[in-house]
Amino acid sequence: MSVETVEAGGRANGPANAGSGDGATVLRVSDLSVRFAGQPVDTIDGVSFTLSAGRTLCLVGESGCGKSVTSLATMRLLPEKAARITSGEARFEDRDMLRLSRREIERVRGDRMAMIFQEPMTSLNPVFKVGDQVAEAVARHRKVGRREARERALEMFRRVQIPAPERRLDDYPHQLSGGMRQRVMIAMALANDPKLLIADEPTTALDVTIQAQILRLMRTLQDESGAAMLLITHDLGVVADIADEVAVMYAGRIVESGPVETIFNDPQHPYTIGLMSSMPTLGAPKGRLATIPGSVPSPFEFPPGCRFATRCPFAQTRCFSEVPPFERNDDGHGWACWRTPIETIAEAGGHA
Amino acid sequence: MSDRRRDIVIETQDLVRHFSSGGSGRTVRAVDGVSLSVERGETFAIVRESGCGKSTLARLLLRLIEPTAGTVVYEGRDLSSLSPRQMRAARARLQFVFQDPFSSLNPRMTVGTLVGEPLIVHTGLSRSERRTRVGELLERVGLRAEHAERYPHEFSGGQRQRVAIARALASEPTVLVGDEPVSALDVSVQAQIINLMEELKSDFGLTLVVIAHDLAVIRHMSDRVAVMYLGEIVELAPADALFDAPGHPYTEALIAAIPVPRPGREEHGEALGGDIPSPLAPPSGCRFHPRCPYAVDRCTREKPMLETAGRGRLVACHRQKELSLAGVGAAVAAGANEKALRRFELYRQHAEGNAAGSG
Ligand SMILES: Nc1ncnc2c1ncn2[C@@H]1O[C@H](COP(=O)(O)OP(=O)(O)OP(=O)(O)O)[C@@H](O)[C@H]1O
Ligand code: SF4
Ligand code: SF4
Ligand SMILES: [Mg+2]
Repeated sequence: MSVETVEAGGRANGPANAGSGDGATVLRVSDLSVRFAGQPVDTIDGVSFTLSAGRTLCLVGESGCGKSVTSLATMRLLPEKAARITSGEARFEDRDMLRLSRREIERVRGDRMAMIFQEPMTSLNPVFKVGDQVAEAVARHRKVGRREARERALEMFRRVQIPAPERRLDDYPHQLSGGMRQRVMIAMALANDPKLLIADEPTTALDVTIQAQILRLMRTLQDESGAAMLLITHDLGVVADIADEVAVMYAGRIVESGPVETIFNDPQHPYTIGLMSSMPTLGAPKGRLATIPGSVPSPFEFPPGCRFATRCPFAQTRCFSEVPPFERNDDGHGWACWRTPIETIAEAGGHA
Repeated sequence: MSDRRRDIVIETQDLVRHFSSGGSGRTVRAVDGVSLSVERGETFAIVRESGCGKSTLARLLLRLIEPTAGTVVYEGRDLSSLSPRQMRAARARLQFVFQDPFSSLNPRMTVGTLVGEPLIVHTGLSRSERRTRVGELLERVGLRAEHAERYPHEFSGGQRQRVAIARALASEPTVLVGDEPVSALDVSVQAQIINLMEELKSDFGLTLVVIAHDLAVIRHMSDRVAVMYLGEIVELAPADALFDAPGHPYTEALIAAIPVPRPGREEHGEALGGDIPSPLAPPSGCRFHPRCPYAVDRCTREKPMLETAGRGRLVACHRQKELSLAGVGAAVAAGANEKALRRFELYRQHAEGNAAGSG
């Protein structure tokens, strides 16, 4: 396999997966690093990815690996005192989101760039009717009258398939089920036809049958609107269902990324392989599950080299001290590991 | 259910628990007439719905709350007939692992105190014997004896779950009830805890009752499975049978809804439509009828009873005999592709080799 080095600097860098002609680049994040106050290293370290029109990138990884911080940094929603962006840029419509003024940011957010969170209850205001909240989101960015904004809200309720939409407009958030609230959130996010949608665990809090409905709805709406989507999840099943591209994150770095089929059929990074093999499946059980020993380290415990070294079954001395470069091949599949493909490790003498 | 040859450890009969819903004077039917029996040594899973009925069944099984009606029979005795002393003794044998180990572990107690506490209550061990035993228990669940000096907040989620399991084991239980025992954990850590529970089950001859929403976890761990919908059991069957050929339309829908980690897969079936009805006002007849793709007139009027439908299987559906439902299809059950599978296997060998080497 021919492997080309895209980042010679030696930082663990994510790739730039420009959708192969499928859609224009909408957001290009490069070398994003974030450091929290009082932390010894950048928690988010050199993250790069590209979102293209009409395509979905899934950011996947375990709790605490930095998925939300990455997306919040891109939307400029991190508390500025506690979280400093130490490097990188996030190009959206030819402007660097990381360097826009507050005023400019607020004009983009909720308009051309929208976000959906895991728990809609925290993003919907409990004391206002849901229809008014969606109308308000429209009015904030469009010169429209009350009537028009409300009509737009109704239209959006129809598009997200809320039954009896006219009546639902006048409901308060608590009168709706979790699935319906998430539909309202989607309606609100899409009300201004964003070019970019960031969804952070949008279905995690929902029953599986409702999750399936919401995922299907999101796919349909994306097909219609051609928006680029960043979907954050820890569920590899959701990834397989909805992603075009996948970026696997571990301890603040993207360790592997590529087209979804490639990631599932040809996983290279030991963390990706560990994640996939530790999942129980619906097939007949086959004894003990594989595990990843230990748990995700805190930034104080990150080894200076590969951050997975403290848990990786293949780690060598070098892994602890030297950061493996992120290398990407012609198929847009990239990863950062000194020892891949792991087959060669076994051939070179197997485990101790 | 009254088969004398079966060795039943814990059994419920028509268990009901209703809650009145704040102010509205209406009733939430969290558990609504549940009868099940758990055999000694098996892992019995209950597929829990998200939303209503939260943990109610688990709490009823341990008599942490009182049923509105019905009974829980443990080792042949009705729990509600026990004196407080007898109840304490029974509770020692019936232990609990919660979803969130943090909320169940007193943050001001050291791990040693937490794990040692049941030993004071349930054994006559001396102080130093207890310390030794705590060390053994911690090591048994994959922690170190020195961890006894530390506090829960110093541990990761997975480690806290290990502490909770060590504490549960201290009173030498016969039954371990896990209420979403791994759902708060990351997959990698979840796998560690699942393996641990299975090991302990065989080492200590435990009976496991696992209440969970994740069908893959349930498939992996359990011998028999009960599926609940709106507070009622709609199907109860051996795990293989249930997953290969579900007997109830809701079970089929659940299986179909699970996102499977294999890209490019054909959409299997229609997504189940409709929202989950409010538990305040469950639908008439079959409670699943507003969402059931097979519903007929009768379903809206007449409530189907849980009836025998083949070997060890109970199903509550009027059309059970005529329907042939889709289970975990061959395509879904089959592993990933060859290359990926080979790497999974290599990974497993190395991970286990290292664990053995460093243990
Ligand atoms: N305000 C903050 N101050 C210090 N550390 C923070 C702050 N916010 C987040 N972190 C840390 O940043 C890391 C990444 O957190 P993040 O929320 O992005 O994880 P995640 O991948 O979204 O996890 P989850 O799946 O649990 O949502 C974690 O170690 C977290 O503790
Ligand atoms: S082999 Fe080394 S570089 Fe590769 S993932 Fe493991 S620790 Fe990191
Ligand atoms: S009884 Fe009718 S509505 Fe209920 S599950 Fe069976 S077919 Fe569906
Ligand atoms: Mg998050």
